[in-house]
Amino acid sequence: MAQSFSAGVAATRRSRSRLGLLFVAPTFLIVAVFFLFPLGSAVYFALTDWDGVSPTPRFVAADNFLRMVGDKEVWHALGNNLIWVLVGTTAPIVLGLLLAVVLWSGVRAVLFYRLVFFMPYVLPPIAVGIVWSWIYDPINGWLNRLLTLVGLGEAARGWLGEPDSALYAVLAAAIWATFGFVVVIFLAALQNVDLDLIDAARIDGANAARRLWHVILPQIVPVFFMVTAITFVGGISVFDIVFIMTGGGPGNATSVLGTYAFKNAFQLNDIGYGTALALLITVLSLPCVMILNRVQRALAKRGMGD
Amino acid sequence: MAISTDLSSTASSTSERLSQAIGRRQSSVRRPRGGVPSGLGKHLFLGTCAVLALFPVVLVFSTALRTERDVRVDPFGLFTSFSWENLVTAWTEGGFGDYFLTSVWLSVPTTVVVVVLCTLSGYALARCEFPGRDLIFYLIVLGILVPFFTIMIPLYFQLRDLGLLNRLPGVQLVLVAIGLPFGTFFMRAFFQGLPVELEQAARVDGCSEWKAFVYIMMPLARSGAAALAIFTFLQNWNNFLVPLLYLPSGDHRPLTTALYVFAGERTIDIGPLAAATLITIIPILVLFVLAQRQLIRGFIAGAVKG
Repeated sequence: MAQSFSAGVAATRRSRSRLGLLFVAPTFLIVAVFFLFPLGSAVYFALTDWDGVSPTPRFVAADNFLRMVGDKEVWHALGNNLIWVLVGTTAPIVLGLLLAVVLWSGVRAVLFYRLVFFMPYVLPPIAVGIVWSWIYDPINGWLNRLLTLVGLGEAARGWLGEPDSALYAVLAAAIWATFGFVVVIFLAALQNVDLDLIDAARIDGANAARRLWHVILPQIVPVFFMVTAITFVGGISVFDIVFIMTGGGPGNATSVLGTYAFKNAFQLNDIGYGTALALLITVLSLPCVMILNRVQRALAKRGMGD
Repeated sequence: MAISTDLSSTASSTSERLSQAIGRRQSSVRRPRGGVPSGLGKHLFLGTCAVLALFPVVLVFSTALRTERDVRVDPFGLFTSFSWENLVTAWTEGGFGDYFLTSVWLSVPTTVVVVVLCTLSGYALARCEFPGRDLIFYLIVLGILVPFFTIMIPLYFQLRDLGLLNRLPGVQLVLVAIGLPFGTFFMRAFFQGLPVELEQAARVDGCSEWKAFVYIMMPLARSGAAALAIFTFLQNWNNFLVPLLYLPSGDHRPLTTALYVFAGERTIDIGPLAAATLITIIPILVLFVLAQRQLIRGFIAGAVKG
């Protein structure tokens, strides 16, 4: 009796194991062919000099990576990525946190505002790029019209056409497209904040700013780091919106690693170098996620925000 | 590998908590919380941000729905005339009717495939024991951590060698491959959240493994699958880089790359360009308003994707 029972269990386990393999097989097969294999190729390509046409890529070991170090364009692009990371992280977080706290503090129509703020985030980057280039239009654009209207007509310019303003103009459009995401994440996190602590702080005479800084923020720290990690990686791997709005120009004013890698691979046919640059983006972004994730876990262990 | 486990486990717990918070009903009677300046200042701040969030989209509607002549005189005036002629021009002469169909053909079947395969793989990885399960899981979700950028160049040559370049099935396969890692991660977390007892009960009642999955688990997984479907559709519809890279000849174009080409070639046709932009974003806006909750849930879970 006992024997047949355990035999039955073993049979169930076997059929379950077969079912599992069967179910995961199609997904794994596609991922292997269209992700893992090209990932391996990427490492190989990055070690070669290849124009994409000749039958065999020439192996050059680490030459592409050494070339990066001496390539002024890479440093220029990296600088732009750095600006993107700094401004593109700070601005949405400050704005998003403020809006989330205001919404959470009790206003009518929270759901309406959440809908409105989040909407830009779901739009395709191409639409964002087109409509913002209209807003930046030197002659008819609303930004210049508005500046003229309030008496700042002298500041009006061709925002995307001038090297000094182009990067920030594209960045502003990107911030417009992402801040709502940050609002939604923070708003969700704030729903878990302990209200009694805030009441206690109020009774103890803490003003609004102090309550925000000392009572509310510590409770949402992990989410804070999560959002930072996302915007950080977003800043390093940015491509679509820059490519669409300026293509890296004027000149190379808005060139970032993404557009520079694209240009090398698909316009200059320097496949090896382009792939090496794309790998650099990955290499730079992975540690950010991991470090921030570690911090987040450490904080969670200390009992903050959980 | 250990680090990616950390990342996925924290991410899933954070995202679950956040989704719960979002799902929670807003209480009808709100007591003031936190401590933010109340009254007029608050509404002014929220109102201004809402106007800024909405304005670019309003501008698309306004510009698309005016007469062509009116747009030529004053490109960005707001609602100064009304006409469908820009939409007609974009749909017929501009070819955006065809591009719309290509977009549907690239987004809908790929979404169905991703949701079906991820329901299977998510279930297998959450509930079935089989040799190599953990390794397979890590290899699949590695795709969440590595930006598409890294594989885009080798993938181009791989598709060329397979004869899939410039062909819709090639792009569909790539879109599926991009959707699978996150989808598997998402559905696995979803199945892990479902009670084990139901399945066990079914098995005690003599249900086969297959039947237990089809009749017990699949109906329970419906809400997770729906959220994944909406999220995946949106990503595919908005995708710009994949069709840009792998449909270079221009024989087939989805809306996103068609808009890019149209904006570059016919800079003076603001009216039809606005109409084409409207055609591109209307399905997204409708979906967004109808399925806001599922979408936000998908995005929060996808936050880790960065």
